[in-house]
Amino acid sequence: MQLSDKVTGALLIALGGVTAYGASLQPGVPGQDVGPSVFPAVIGLGLMGCGAMIAFGVGHSFEAPDDTIPAEPGETVPRPPRFAEWRAFLAPLLLVLYVLVSETLGFLITAAICILVMTRALGGSWRLAVALALLGPVGLHLAFYELLRVPLPDGLLALPW
Amino acid sequence: MSDLIDGFIMVGQMDVLVAILLSAIYGLVVGSLPGLSATMATALLVPVTFYLSPIAAVATIISASAMAIFSGDIPGCLLRIPGTPASAAYTDEAYAMTRKGQAEMALGIGLWFSAIGGIVGTLSLMVMAPALAEVALNFSSFEYFWLAVLGLMCATLVARSSPVKAIASMLLGLLFSCIGMENPAGAPRFTFGMTDLLGGIEPLPALVGVFALSEVMRALATAEPPPLPRRKFGSILAGQWSLTRRFQWPMWRGNVVGIIIGVLPGAGADMAAWVSYALSKRFSKTPEKFGTGHPEGLVEAGASNNASLASGWVPALLFGIPGDTITAIAIGVLYMKGLNPGPTLFTERASSMYALYIIFILANIIMIPLGILMIRLATRVLRAPRASIMPVILMLCAMGAFATGNNLFAILLVGFFGVLGYIMERNGYPVAALVLGIVMGSMVEQSFVTSLIKSDNSLLPFFERPISAVLATITLAALLWPVAAWLIRRRRRAPRRPAPQGG
Repeated sequence: MQLSDKVTGALLIALGGVTAYGASLQPGVPGQDVGPSVFPAVIGLGLMGCGAMIAFGVGHSFEAPDDTIPAEPGETVPRPPRFAEWRAFLAPLLLVLYVLVSETLGFLITAAICILVMTRALGGSWRLAVALALLGPVGLHLAFYELLRVPLPDGLLALPW
Repeated sequence: MSDLIDGFIMVGQMDVLVAILLSAIYGLVVGSLPGLSATMATALLVPVTFYLSPIAAVATIISASAMAIFSGDIPGCLLRIPGTPASAAYTDEAYAMTRKGQAEMALGIGLWFSAIGGIVGTLSLMVMAPALAEVALNFSSFEYFWLAVLGLMCATLVARSSPVKAIASMLLGLLFSCIGMENPAGAPRFTFGMTDLLGGIEPLPALVGVFALSEVMRALATAEPPPLPRRKFGSILAGQWSLTRRFQWPMWRGNVVGIIIGVLPGAGADMAAWVSYALSKRFSKTPEKFGTGHPEGLVEAGASNNASLASGWVPALLFGIPGDTITAIAIGVLYMKGLNPGPTLFTERASSMYALYIIFILANIIMIPLGILMIRLATRVLRAPRASIMPVILMLCAMGAFATGNNLFAILLVGFFGVLGYIMERNGYPVAALVLGIVMGSMVEQSFVTSLIKSDNSLLPFFERPISAVLATITLAALLWPVAAWLIRRRRRAPRRPAPQGG
């Protein structure tokens, strides 16, 4: 998700504009000049200013190069996986899936699905993925449900204890 | 004196001691895994602290973060991959020592000087915090406003990125803090009719998203690091005492720089390590040895990042302004446990403060035996494939956020902030500034609006009181500095422009 500074700058200007407009719609406090609109208005103007400066490349020269250490001669650099940019979004998508189905399927089944998919996506073998998907949710359930008393949904499958 | 004894009794409770030990082990393991930072370790620990006594809750955060900062040195030294960003500054140096066959010494330096740095940092916290508390009692909303803004500006100044982008990140964080009903009118603001947003954005899901989920996302997008070759270690602490004597001066400089950077609101252990390593090289008698496996820089930076951890608690305890991202989490826990930050904490809850100091010292002492154990086990722990760790971390993100209010919406927030943090990081926007904006937003707004009401909408009183005038000057200088620096660079570059045509 590498975007040019022009794009992110323009996005910030737009966001700042919307913020400032939204701030102007805030209700006032009777008998008082300073209300809930002041702070967001300042932020909105600030965002627009920063966005414009970023789009014009102000401060770009300060950006430090990536922390990644260059490889030694002769050292093999592992190649990034295919669709690297898009694979990253699997993790938040799994969280959305969890929110959507955990009430009906229950914690154990939903967590098992998430862990199975993640392990495979990270290149783990099927054996590792299945073992983790079976043991992981039970361990998490023990820690959060039994010890920390977090009300995880039972759904279709409840543990006997 | 009785406060001190009370403090010892508080720490001596069984649950506190067990909490220190378990969180220490947790911090060592998580910190040593590449990509899992000390901030992330702390953020995932917060749901656990709900169920602990106040002192035990603070103890888990202190000991887990201290251990994680040290243990980040281990994969840096053995694999050339820093375990936490705070170790990144001297990873090359430590790895060069490993290649020279001095892995034990490099790891020993990390351990020994981390512990010393941690203890010196704690002593500074013990001296500074109560003294500053006296001054802080005189602060009004004007001073608090400037202090909060100065904290935010520090976070943008020290970010290793474009200051304009850092300010934009910070403003974005402040914008998120505007969401909800907690504003001067008590009316829903920017909630878009969603009831889940009425209570505002909790800092914890945002922190977990930005620091933990985005790390899981990064793991999905990058290749697996190479496995660690098996090796046996000799004595870890051998020769450390002679190194301490030989590099006494750099060690003290590292400690002091770490303490100063820690106290600055918003600047944390990573920055301390970068600055100290650079200073060490700059003032060394043998700068040419740096990068070839020379212990001097390791000594200074290793002491510095741990010293900054303790002093980062000074602004957190006094003003509720985080010294770094770890204390940003700690402040939330302090509020939750009734230890509301503020200068009165040192007079009314003095025994709790003594307990806190004792925990810091204790954590840094047990770091040495546990750290040696961790180094010996490192070859096993670091062989665990990422595919077996990241899925569990993903579930911990979900569970941890859910546990804060038993609300599924928090998990969606984690997802949102994970994506935001990932994209921001890829495009050079520092995420620490975003988080500090979210954490400090309501404080900035409250002190700003209160001050404006007090002054009858006049901006003059913001600059009239002596302390607030000083704070205002520093803040404005920090704000204008990027523009000035840019203009200077442009002017210097301008005369050179016609050159390419001629040659």
